[in-house]
Amino acid sequence: MALVSVSTRVLAAVAAVLFVLGGTTAAHDVPDDITVQAFLRADAGRVSLLVRVPLAAMRDVDVPTRGSGWVDLARIDPALRHAATVWLIQNIDIFEDGRSLGPGELSAVRLSLPSDRAFERLEAASAQLAGPPLDARLQLLWEQGALDARIDYPRQGPPGRLAIDADLRRLGQRVTTVLRLITADGAVRAYQWHGDAGVVELDPRWHQAALSFLRAGVGHVLSGPDHLLFLLCIAISLRRIRTLVVIVTSFTLAHACTLVASAYGQAPSALWFPPLVETLIAVSIVWMALENIVEYAGAASADGPGTRALGRRWVVATGFGLVHGFGFSFALSERLQFAGSHLLTSLVAFNAGVEIAQLAVIVAAAAAVTLAFRRLSSPRVAAIVVSAIAAHTGWDWFLERGAVLWQFPWPAPSLPAIETTAVWLAIAVLSAAVAWGVRRLIDRRASARRLTTPRYSHQVRATETVR
Amino acid sequence: MNRNTITAVAFLVMFVGLGAAYLYLSRDVAAAARSAPLAPAFEVDPLWPKPLPNHWVLGSTIGVSVDESDHVWIIHRSSATLNNNEKGLELEPPTGECCAGAPPVLEFDQAGNLLNHWGGPGEGFEWPSSNHGITVDYKGNVWIGGNGNGDAQLLKFTKSGKFLLQVGRANARQGPANAEGVSTFPGNSNDTASFGRVAKIFVDPRENEAYISDGYLNKRVVVLDADSGAFKRYWGAYGNKPDDANLGPYDPDAPPAPQFRNPVHCAELSVDRLLYVCDRVNNRIQVFTPDGKFVKEAFIAKRSLGEGAVWDIAFSKDAAQSHIYLADGRNMKVRILRRDTLEELTNFGDGGRQPGQFYAPHSVAVDSRGNLYTTETYEGKRVQKFIYKGLRPVPSKDQGVIWPR
Repeated sequence: MALVSVSTRVLAAVAAVLFVLGGTTAAHDVPDDITVQAFLRADAGRVSLLVRVPLAAMRDVDVPTRGSGWVDLARIDPALRHAATVWLIQNIDIFEDGRSLGPGELSAVRLSLPSDRAFERLEAASAQLAGPPLDARLQLLWEQGALDARIDYPRQGPPGRLAIDADLRRLGQRVTTVLRLITADGAVRAYQWHGDAGVVELDPRWHQAALSFLRAGVGHVLSGPDHLLFLLCIAISLRRIRTLVVIVTSFTLAHACTLVASAYGQAPSALWFPPLVETLIAVSIVWMALENIVEYAGAASADGPGTRALGRRWVVATGFGLVHGFGFSFALSERLQFAGSHLLTSLVAFNAGVEIAQLAVIVAAAAAVTLAFRRLSSPRVAAIVVSAIAAHTGWDWFLERGAVLWQFPWPAPSLPAIETTAVWLAIAVLSAAVAWGVRRLIDRRASARRLTTPRYSHQVRATETVR
Repeated sequence: MNRNTITAVAFLVMFVGLGAAYLYLSRDVAAAARSAPLAPAFEVDPLWPKPLPNHWVLGSTIGVSVDESDHVWIIHRSSATLNNNEKGLELEPPTGECCAGAPPVLEFDQAGNLLNHWGGPGEGFEWPSSNHGITVDYKGNVWIGGNGNGDAQLLKFTKSGKFLLQVGRANARQGPANAEGVSTFPGNSNDTASFGRVAKIFVDPRENEAYISDGYLNKRVVVLDADSGAFKRYWGAYGNKPDDANLGPYDPDAPPAPQFRNPVHCAELSVDRLLYVCDRVNNRIQVFTPDGKFVKEAFIAKRSLGEGAVWDIAFSKDAAQSHIYLADGRNMKVRILRRDTLEELTNFGDGGRQPGQFYAPHSVAVDSRGNLYTTETYEGKRVQKFIYKGLRPVPSKDQGVIWPR
């Protein structure tokens, strides 16, 4: 009871002092959009995090004020330290070679103007934190300022690979973190993410990058309804392993071409390009579904079309593979920052992830379709109905995405545009040539097997009779 | 020759042909790039901003500014400039399900989402009868002018709309009634307490001074202390003492006018501390030192009559601010000038209501990535975003509408 009484008296006294001193508590709405800027650098004995956060994001802080609510800049230091501890240090973990470096130590803190550009470069940010505070006569409200802090994490031994886990979601409705890592050789590597990205490996080993991008590739296929529907359209028509191999290989090679080219900055950057690709992906679904309907409707066998009817599908798969590759690249573009120095490895891993997921989906879908159709009296009708539903869905997407695309007129022809088109046509021709070559190779092997294996017993018997 | 060979040869011929075409074209493209001057290139973002909520629509949109977070702030005249067939929800009784004027001050993020809105009359300040110009300064304060009949004040708010400061009083310029009994509003460009219909404000972070384009009634640039609002200095065209005498209509063949014409529509300070002033109807930019010493002038589309060609300017985002983007609401264009010579390199836009076209482009602003924002007054009533595409060889002096390529 005595303790409670003392605590109450102390709190009351603190409150009275704050009131007399003209303090106010910064308690505002959660801001909509907050950007956190940070630099991370490993030096001998410590890892330093320099960070800037708009003060509008740091609520429930006792702020000393003067006049018409201006921040009392001469007495602001304790409030800034409190804000940095509660809102930053307690929510940021730095790891080196997988080990947490423990809680950071606040070595410098200051208030800056929102227009200050010091956090564009590490040197300027360091100088800002070491420089003199703002003129105490400045008229500034709490929510108009920015908090700059330097947080040090003690470390030992040679520098290792850094990772960061910064959960800063409480700062705003939408929090964007822009982090620049200064590597040992002085290079700057930039990262940007929204909300809580979990543990971000800033300098991943090749296998960490590969695993991360492999997962991303699998996840992208499995979470994309349009891509899954396209694969289902392929699966419906598959009856032979050879056809599957040819079509999937064509599709894979084609989308690998555009995916890699996009990652190296060769895709058009125009605003109309993403909606064009999205629209063409919808077209690819409609095309595949309609082709299934036409082939099944005209097939001689009740089980569906033969390989001859679908023999040219590899050409279509190549064309649509180029389009889907661009679609993959849009998903990949934001992740590439996490590849570290393993861009090519990450690209290959992402492609591999896409392939694994694709094959799994096609095999599962083909097996499911085969099993389901076996139980039906008319597999042909079932295939037509499923394809019609796919076509309908694809058509809806086409209209929706096309509506966005149609807002852009066709670009006027110009020399640079024709030059870019020539490059992409060359890539398309090359993809088609490779896919065609693979198909010829498979055909030739199949023919060779037929020649060496006596498959037709009546022919063997006829030969024996002649003898 | 069998079928496979023919197919393989066809692939080879196509590939080689396309490669040759690329090599040939890249030579021409490189040659064209070498010979043409470079200028900032843009393309319109037709999907920005996103639709407003609550059936809100914009009125004449007469100000734009970009803050340190690259949020885009606009001010517009809302219902006061909406026709009845545009504001059916506001009529009594409502005549339909749409629409109503949006609040005057709107904040958008980079994706075009509306983040914040406020504005209008309130306690402790005199909201302008006709909003004009918006500036978010280096402390995050929002400054607003006004060009209504009695507007002789400017206002400062926080970003959330909390009132901070008023300089000048409404109706300070009100004079005696004329023969028809209507109040007159004579200019007084030597008043040190109030203004004459302020067009725009710029705040200099280094000296904490506000530069006021004053305005639609007065003919001067005024410099204030940005905290207290105290008048520090002012001047007219060529650094002369301002004179409110009527100069008559603009004549493109007459010698340059010794005073600004109304309105003095912008005053922007560059990184090398030169003040660029928009003398709108005189079709000229005048350049001064911060203390009002005349440096040089340049005429833009000199034969433009009526409202004039020099409405607003913004500097490019490179460190040297090498270029000026000039809103020309008379000729429905944005002009791109070299800042050092004030020579026009190219322009884009044309009259019309589709994305990339203009109806009276009134104000311009640039974000940290170099993207350009324009607002349109009269019946234009919109804000547009033009995405910066880097420095590119100038394709032509008049680019017309810059659609996405």
